[in-house]
Order: sequence, then C-alpha cells, then structure tokens
Amino acid sequence: MKSVQWIFVPILVVASSLTLLYPNFAERELELAVRKEFKELPEETRKEVLSNFAERWKTDYNPKSDWQIEPDPNIFPDQDYYLVKGRFITSAKINQLSQENQELILEPKNKLRPTWVEEYIFGGRPLAIRLGLDLQGGMRVVLKGDFDDYTSKLKDSYTKEIEELTRKKSDASLSEKERKEAQDKLKEIESYFELTPSRKLAELEKAKLIIDNRLTNQNLTEPQVRIQKDQDSIEVSLPGVSNSSQILDIIRNTETVEYRLREPSDSNANSRGTYHDAIELEEMKLMNEGRKEETEIVKFQNIVKQKLGKDEQDKFLAAMEKKYNIPEKYKLYVKWSRANNPKASLLPREFVVLERAISLDGKDMRNARESYDQNRLSYYVSFSLTSQGAEKFFDITSKNVGRQLAIVWGDKVISDPVIRSPIAGGNAQIDGEFGQKEATDLANVISEGALPIPLNVLEMRFIGPTLGIESIEVGLKAVLLGFALVIVFMLVIYRLSGFVADIALLVNVIVLMALLSLMGFTLTLPGFAGIILTVGMAVDANVIIYERIKEELASGKHVSAAVAQGFDNAFWTIMDSNVTTLISGILMIKLGNGPIKGFAITLCWGIITSLFTSLFLSRMIMDLLVNKFGVRKLRIGFKKLESKNV
Amino acid sequence: MFDFIKYKYVSISFSAILIAVGFGVTFGKYGGFATSLDFDGGLRAVVEFPENVERKNLEEYFSAKNLEAVLVLMDKDKNDYQIDIGLGSVDQIKQLYIERKGKDSVEAKQASAIDALIGLLQEDFKLEKKKILSANQVGSVVGAELTSTGISLLGLTLFFIMIYLSFRFQFKFALGAILALIHDLVITIAFIGFFQIKPSVPIIAALLTLLGYSINDTIVVFDRIRENAGNLRDTFSKVINLSINQTLSRTFNTSVATLISVVAIIIGGAVELYDFAYVLTFGIILGTFSSVFIAAPLVDIYDTLSQRWKRS
Repeated sequence: MKSVQWIFVPILVVASSLTLLYPNFAERELELAVRKEFKELPEETRKEVLSNFAERWKTDYNPKSDWQIEPDPNIFPDQDYYLVKGRFITSAKINQLSQENQELILEPKNKLRPTWVEEYIFGGRPLAIRLGLDLQGGMRVVLKGDFDDYTSKLKDSYTKEIEELTRKKSDASLSEKERKEAQDKLKEIESYFELTPSRKLAELEKAKLIIDNRLTNQNLTEPQVRIQKDQDSIEVSLPGVSNSSQILDIIRNTETVEYRLREPSDSNANSRGTYHDAIELEEMKLMNEGRKEETEIVKFQNIVKQKLGKDEQDKFLAAMEKKYNIPEKYKLYVKWSRANNPKASLLPREFVVLERAISLDGKDMRNARESYDQNRLSYYVSFSLTSQGAEKFFDITSKNVGRQLAIVWGDKVISDPVIRSPIAGGNAQIDGEFGQKEATDLANVISEGALPIPLNVLEMRFIGPTLGIESIEVGLKAVLLGFALVIVFMLVIYRLSGFVADIALLVNVIVLMALLSLMGFTLTLPGFAGIILTVGMAVDANVIIYERIKEELASGKHVSAAVAQGFDNAFWTIMDSNVTTLISGILMIKLGNGPIKGFAITLCWGIITSLFTSLFLSRMIMDLLVNKFGVRKLRIGFKKLESKNV
Repeated sequence: MFDFIKYKYVSISFSAILIAVGFGVTFGKYGGFATSLDFDGGLRAVVEFPENVERKNLEEYFSAKNLEAVLVLMDKDKNDYQIDIGLGSVDQIKQLYIERKGKDSVEAKQASAIDALIGLLQEDFKLEKKKILSANQVGSVVGAELTSTGISLLGLTLFFIMIYLSFRFQFKFALGAILALIHDLVITIAFIGFFQIKPSVPIIAALLTLLGYSINDTIVVFDRIRENAGNLRDTFSKVINLSINQTLSRTFNTSVATLISVVAIIIGGAVELYDFAYVLTFGIILGTFSSVFIAAPLVDIYDTLSQRWKRS
C-alpha cells in the first residue's frame, strides 16, 4: 500500500492551515495611539476625557473583561499608546473605540500588531478572516454616481471651444480643410459627452480608488468599497462606524484644488483689478454710510452662517456677476480667511475676480504634506508637481510676474500670493491661514485627487455594532455546539470509522477556513450557512462510504477488500452529488451578488475541501487502519457486522 | 423492505396538500407573505430623541400603536435611533395620523406615510424638526437584488444540472431531480408564508442551502438506481424501490447529522438565526422526504408513461 508514503500530504496541509488560521485565534496586541495634542488640553478636560474612556472601557468596550489594557485607562500612558491584549479584536471594536474617543485616540496611528505568521511569512499582510457587517455591525452606504450632473459640468467646461468650433465650421473665409478639421474636432468633443457603460464603469473605478484612499487616510480598519455595475453605484461598508455624517462627507467630497490668475490690474498701484475695484468702491460707500448690513460681503456671510447651502451661494455670486457686468472671461470668487485672531473661524472676507481658465489643476500636483510654520503660527501645505505641471507652473509664473495667482480649494479662494519671480523646480507650497485639520484636508485633496463624479446617497443602513458582536458570539457557539454533536453522533453510529470521519470533518473545516482566510474572504451570515452545508455534505460523503463498506461486509467480504470496494462504489455517487452542487455554486458566484455570492463561495470551496477529505484523507486513514494496523473488525451501526473470513 | 413505489400517489398527494394548505393560509389568512424592509422596502427615519427616552420607551410606544418597528441605536451619545417600519404598517400609520388630525384637516389629507410618521413622532416626543435627522421611503435592498438575478439564476442552475444529469444518468433522472428540487423550493416557500417568516438575507441563505442539500440527497438515491438497473433483471419500479431501501440508512443518518447541526443553532440560542434555522430544519426534513418519496417515484411515473407511449 502506498498510503504510508502519502501520509505527509494531509499532515502538511493541516499544519499549514493551522498556521494560516493562527492570527484568528491567537491573542492579539492592539496599539491604540494617543493624540500628542491631548497633553496640551486643560487639566480638567483631560481628566474628564480619561474618566469617560475608563468608564466606557469597563461598561461598553470590555464588559466581560477578557481584554487587558495597559496602562489603566484612567492614566495617560508613558509611551504614546495604550496596549490592548486579547482575542477576537474586531475591526468594528477598533473603530468604535477610536471614533468614540476622538479627543484621546488618534485613528491614523492605531495599529494591530501583526502576529509572527503575518510578520514573517506574509510580510505584514493581515490574515485574519474578515467579518461582514451583519456579523460585526457598522454602516453600509450605497452611493449612486450622478452622471447627469457630470455631463452637464463637462459640457460647461467645453462651452468656449464648442462656440469657437461651430463658428469655424461655417466660416466661409476658412479653407475647406480647416473647416473639416473644426467639424471633426467638434464631433470628437461631442463624443466626450456620450457615456457608454464602459466609460461609466471607468469613472466609477476612479471614484472607487479615491474613496479607498480617503478611507485609508481615516484609518478605518477594513472599510470595503465595491462597485455595483448594474446600478451605477458604489457600495461602501464600514465596520463599527457610528459617526456617519462625518465619514459620509469625507467620501462624497468633490472638492478640487486649482490655481487661477487674478484679473489683471491697471497701472494704478492700489488697484487689484477693474471689477474688484468697482465692487470695493461700492462696499466702502455703504460702510461709510453706516449701512454695513447691506454690504454684499455681509450678506454673503449671512448665507454661510445660516447654512443655506452651496446653491444659494452660487445664486448670490451669479447675481453679483450680473450686477457688476463681469465678462464671461472672469468669474467671481470669495476669499475666505480668519479675522486677526488665529482661532477665529474661517469666513468669507473679500470678493475676488479670477480668470475662468484654470492655470494649474489638481492633476498636476501630488505628494502633498501639511507642516507647521513656527514663525507664522499656522500650518501650510507643501507639494510637488508632476514634470508637466512643473513646466506649466514655470511658464505661468514667468509670464505673469507681479500678478496674483489664487489658489481655489473647492469654491473658496484660500490664498492669492503675488508672483515675485518665476518658480522653477517641482516643488511649491500653499500658505493660508490653516488650522491643522484644514491643512490635512487640503493635503488629502491634493494627494488623492478629486472625485470624478458627484455621488448621491441611495441607501444608508446601520447595523448596531453591539448587537452584531453578541450575535456572532452566540452564533459561533451554536455552530460549535452543532459541530460537537455531529462528532458525537458519528462516533456513536460508526465507532472507529466514525472517528475517522470526525478527523476528516475537522480537517475539512480547518482547511476551508484557512483557504477563506488566505483569500481575504469576508465572512457573513450566508457564508456561515455555506459552512454548515459543507459540514453536512462532508458527513454525507463519509456516511455513503461507510454504508457501502457495511454492505460489502454483510455480503461476507474481507475487511480490506470491503473497505477498498466501499470507497470505489461510493466514489461516483459522491462525485455526482458534489459536482451538481458545485454547478449551482459556480452559477451563484457568477450571477449572484451580495448574500448569494458569499454563500456560494464558501459552498464551492467547501465542496472542494470535502472531496479532498472524504475521498483522499478518509481512504488513506482507513487503508492504514486495515492494512497496517491490522484492524480486522469494523463495527458499523448497531448490528455487529464483522468480516467472517479473517 | 417498504414499498415506496406502491404508495407514490399517496406521497405526491401529501405534497400537493402541503402546498395547497401552505399557500392557502398564506394568501387566504394573511393576504400574502410577511413583509420585511429588506424585501419590500418601507419607511426609515433617523431621529435624535431626548436623553430620557430609552429603547424600552420606544418599543412600548410602537407596540402600543400596533406598529412593527425595528429600532437600531446609531449613536449612543446623541441618542440617535434608526426606526425601520415595514410596508405592512404603513396604512396603520396613516390611519393614526388621520385620527389625530381629524379626517377633514388639510394636513391629514395631504400627508404621505412618511409625513404621518414624522408628525406623530414630533408630537408624541415633543421633538424639534431638526431632531428628525432623516426620513424617507426606502426601496427594497435584498428584494430588488434578488428578483433581478434570482429567477434567471434558478432557471440557469436547473438547466445546467439537467444537462449534467442527462449526461451522467438519463433524461428521466434529470427530470425527476429537477421536479423534486422545485417541489422542495415551492413547499419551503409555502412554509415561509404559512408561518409568516420575514424574508431576509438569512432566509435566502437557508433556501440556497436547502437547494444544495436537496440535490445532493436526490442524486445519492439516483446513483443507486442507476447502478442496480444495470445488474438486475427486475422491473424498473422494483429496482427503484430496492435502491431507495438500500440507501435508506444512509439517508437517515445523513439527515440526522445535518439536522443536529442546524437544531444546535436553535438550542444554542442564536436568536437572530432562528428563522434561518427553522427554515433549514424544515427544508432538510423536506429534502429527505422528497428524495425518498417524490424524486424516485416521479422517475417511475415518467418511465411508466414513456413505456406506454412507446407501445401505443
């Protein structure tokens, strides 16, 4: 018999599976990073924050006290983190901890220390099986791409060119060739506005990438972003998140950063442009008459203060553009800044007229970082330019020395320095009156780029995190209980053979879980169902085999022959039944989505592993028992069925 | 040896009665399946309640009004609750609002269900308007996903299984297996209606599991029939009967083992998986029943009929 030589295969498989699964059941260490700024808070506030944290730690975060935290949550740690030790630290829990203690814990620095398996074998890649939102709680948002808005904005940006080309097309003074060129160009531009499904998908892919990056910067553990092709939408799953609106704002933010030149000023030294001066004159007049409330800037501030929304602001600016006859070439913006006090809030302070043409946009910038300027007591953002961007920047700055170059973030002018000399080299910085958060946000917008399409919330759903964690614990216990009962049942009915089946069953589940964990699979409730079915099918395969062996024994065959014959007879039965189930599983993976897919993936892998354990592993062990260890009596069932020709 | 074939019409009639009763009760008594937000959509409001309002108060409030509401605490610090109300309670909400405002009032006449819900909550909990963080009629999530893919998925699955079985066995087996499968699905759906179990993601998972289990079970029996048909010179009916009897202890043992793991979910107290476990328990018993009493007898009936056609 060859079985002896092959014994290393299952041993190797089980050993590597257990290694893979180690991060799931081992005790883990989590570093909860503490904010540096926390130390600078007034003593009173600090005490309050800490005692809140300690209180919640005892009651909510760790009611069963199976996790250890060092030092005591009442004390500020010496090193810059709290160390949490325990099993089954879920991402939902990590997110909950850091989001509910924002003053104390700095999300981006939290770190689940890798286990040795992850560290040495997988180079730090996390291996633990992820749990779906239905199991650990959190938030699910479906965002629909607003392609109508997208095309209308796109059309706006080509208005000038289209006008020009349409004129050229029917301009009799131009040569045939030039007119033809204009016509072709026009057609090409029009084709930009037609959104084919594949182009929509490409835009969604871009959006997905940016959302991914933004969420990573929030350092949410295990956020998941996936595209729902058939609905032109993006689904975002965030375990354990409860501060929904903030995260949602971050995801949906369509802000851009761009450079625009200010309208040229005339020779007058104090002038900052014709239209700017006109507006300023009018404002001054009102101020001098003591009618401050009637000035445009105060009116605009009121719109902002009352949070009437961007539409109202746009309407207001459009009306002003009309009032002051600002030509199409320019666009009216508002400069936002702080009053003298650096702690004051950012408010619109001044109207600025900029060129409509964009000098440099976000695509030309990259690698932005915020830094603190000691002298000015504020933050600034430095970034580098792409080679193309650097060229453009040099070109603009050398042609426009003395003019102001404004930086527009979203719809706000945040800074408008005068160009002193041409700027070469690939680096630049933006000084504004930034707080830390603003500087970080701006740096993120530059680094990640803007969202290509506006997104609307189609569906938002919360799954209570504590509820989820309870249900997974109970669910897990129930599954383990069921598993134990099945094992006992098999032992009672099939005795020694039952023991072999139990080994096969255990190996089956271990290998299956290891595979899922290797694939980075997210386990959900339907996934659980798939595992239960797998257990059922694995048991079934063994039962079929033993019943066959029983029949062979009953017909008077020798044990060794009965075992061999039993396996052979059962082979195609098991194959057929598994292949049919596999067919339905594969179709479910291909066509189904969400819950169906999760179920089908576990099912399909489960079928493969159970084929391995029942047809290969069980057979090998039975072979060894009968042919190596000389087992001559197999008691299957309650009737004594022993081979008679021993 | 029990003669399963002899009683085939009894067992098929039994199934037919189950289906009739199941759907009869579902539509006659309840007027259809239970509604759930996942499948049918409904009303969803996110509301910030005053600090003194606890989950218990809210539960009492809704049950006193005879409204089925699912509450999720979203933000502990702010006492934000997400309230889900299924389509089934929408009429009730409107009714309550009309009673409150008077039949002829403008408010009552123009109010949509969501307005009515907001109106009631605002008055009863003395809420400012801005404390209603969001409120809207939501579409079905799972339901929409499933109706679009579910039917085509089922059709295709049956088609491919049929091809595989026709290839590995014979057409009559494929037909029997498919019919048994549809039989199991239909009865389980009738069961879901009969007990007014709310359709949800776990229920779908249970149905899929059942599908897999049922195919598996049926094929084991068929495999035996195929094997015996080659060896024996008996009539086809007798071969079927013999095969069912030969696989009976396997069928029984497997069903018990699988049932144990499912029943453990109920014993283990995983409340959120109860519906899932009930459907699966019923489905496994049914799947076992159908592979013994329905699938093979159907093959026999088809065989008898096709013999008769050939002769005439």
